[in-house]
Amino acid sequence: MSRKRKIISGLKKEMLRLPGYLLVIVWVGFTFFMIGWIILASFSTTREIFTGDLLASGLHVSNYVKAFITNKGLRNLMNSVIYTVPSCVLIILVCAPAAYCISRFAFRGNGLLQKLILIGLAIPGIMIIMPMFSIISTLNLSGSHFTLIFLYTATSVPYSTFFLMPFFAGVSTTYEDAAAIDGCGPVRCFWHIMFPLVQPAIVTITIFNFISKWNEYFMALVFANKSELRPIGVGLYQIVTSMMNSGDWAGMFASVVIVFVPTVVIYAFLSDKIISGVTAGGVKG
Amino acid sequence: MKQTKRSIAIFLGPAALLYVLVFFYPVVRTTMMSFFEMRGISSPMKEWTFAGLKNFNKLFHTQLFLISMKNIGKIWLYTGIATLGFALLLALILTQGLKFQKFFRASVYLPNVIAAVAIGYMWLLYVFNNKFGLLTTLFKLLGWEKMAQFQWLSGNNMFLSMCIAYVFSNTGYFMMMYIAAMENISRDYYDSAHIEGANVFQRFLYITLPLIKGVLGMSAVLWTTRTIGFFALAQVFSNTSTFTPMLYTYRTLFATEAGSESVNPGVAAASAVVMTLTAVIVSQGLKHLIKTENYEI
Repeated sequence: MSRKRKIISGLKKEMLRLPGYLLVIVWVGFTFFMIGWIILASFSTTREIFTGDLLASGLHVSNYVKAFITNKGLRNLMNSVIYTVPSCVLIILVCAPAAYCISRFAFRGNGLLQKLILIGLAIPGIMIIMPMFSIISTLNLSGSHFTLIFLYTATSVPYSTFFLMPFFAGVSTTYEDAAAIDGCGPVRCFWHIMFPLVQPAIVTITIFNFISKWNEYFMALVFANKSELRPIGVGLYQIVTSMMNSGDWAGMFASVVIVFVPTVVIYAFLSDKIISGVTAGGVKG
Repeated sequence: MKQTKRSIAIFLGPAALLYVLVFFYPVVRTTMMSFFEMRGISSPMKEWTFAGLKNFNKLFHTQLFLISMKNIGKIWLYTGIATLGFALLLALILTQGLKFQKFFRASVYLPNVIAAVAIGYMWLLYVFNNKFGLLTTLFKLLGWEKMAQFQWLSGNNMFLSMCIAYVFSNTGYFMMMYIAAMENISRDYYDSAHIEGANVFQRFLYITLPLIKGVLGMSAVLWTTRTIGFFALAQVFSNTSTFTPMLYTYRTLFATEAGSESVNPGVAAASAVVMTLTAVIVSQGLKHLIKTENYEI
């Protein structure tokens, strides 16, 4: 290819890319502008929001004081942590052994179990909540944090097990053979040898679970819609609905910011892990 | 390695127990509930009275439910085409080796890590606001007076506005799926096509598209199971035109706004069953439609 033609083809290539750049920049620019504006608005006054001079009278931290204290944002945040962190730990304790067993042991019913996992992935939450609601009110658990921790753990079983299976399947069997020769039982062998070997996958699924439990809305609305139980998302709905009447826009934006900042910050640091959680599992969000 | 029955039970026991408790039992009981009448969700089974298909009959004669089914159908189809279309387009663009490609990918995915309620309010309170909102301000700046006057949140336009917000927050997820699939395709195909003189569109049409067909099918199935649970945005935008079956079922169970006489667990269960069946039938249909030979990549 002559030099001239090369330049022309290079130019043509960039020309073809131009609309691509344009679309991506508009899309991403919009995203950041929206988030940025809302953050600035949350530090302004309602008046400034309407006149379009954000931050004209300096930073108003009082919006956050109100959102955290008066509107119980802090308590909601604590509740979200109380639901999310134990669930993430329990999910691993339950799903890692199951994924290991299904992916490496040959036994009758193994194929059926794999089918059941796939079915579990497709069952919508609405089919689950009615009987759970009746069990929980019969057991008198409706006022406790335990309910959502249990539900978050249990409903994550299909996806987390499904996600971890290929990682266990990929480990060489020599590790187990060596452990067995040394007299190490299967349970000890699992926790001491196999579990550390798939650690990257465990970290990925845990971050992924953390974000999806943090953002879960429907079950939280059904099972934790009392002021002392509300997680951050359900709390936001309550706060905005009541603020809409008082017209405190700055306060509403502060409440919105409190909800999205934790996951966005985590994402900023761990985006690679989170994205690989999407593409490696590749089945369900 | 010795695989004793005992160790299998230890490994699988907790997961199996949770599965039976939270998936198997509830599905069976909800399905049964849909054929019975009862006073409250927590009514014990001995207080149920058999109703045959009465709940389903009632459901299909309830205006709000019919509207919500129509809405979810529209959401599934229109926002589905828009979301998957944008996802495919962005995936195509962001696999060409653009500058800052990784940053762009991560940024398009960003809305997926934000809670749906927060996304809903970001659009409802800011983007669509007709006084200081992003769109109104932007159109005024561009001098498009007519577009600036557009009432995004008036009754008739609410549905469109909600769909735009939904497309925006879902595209990144499917884009990542497509990118992963596209990057699995061997460079050799593109190189030889390039030598043969195929342009970018031909390469997309004759190489990329056939090779990611399986993933496209999977994403359509995934889209179906996702949309059937459409809830948080519908609650935030809260309008009859944005009503979805999930919201209808929730209101029929807990009656937050309507009077308590509208509470009817049997009908709610019937609605849950109809939603699940719809999702299953549509997914199976899609799987059947897209089932084609797989190419070796």
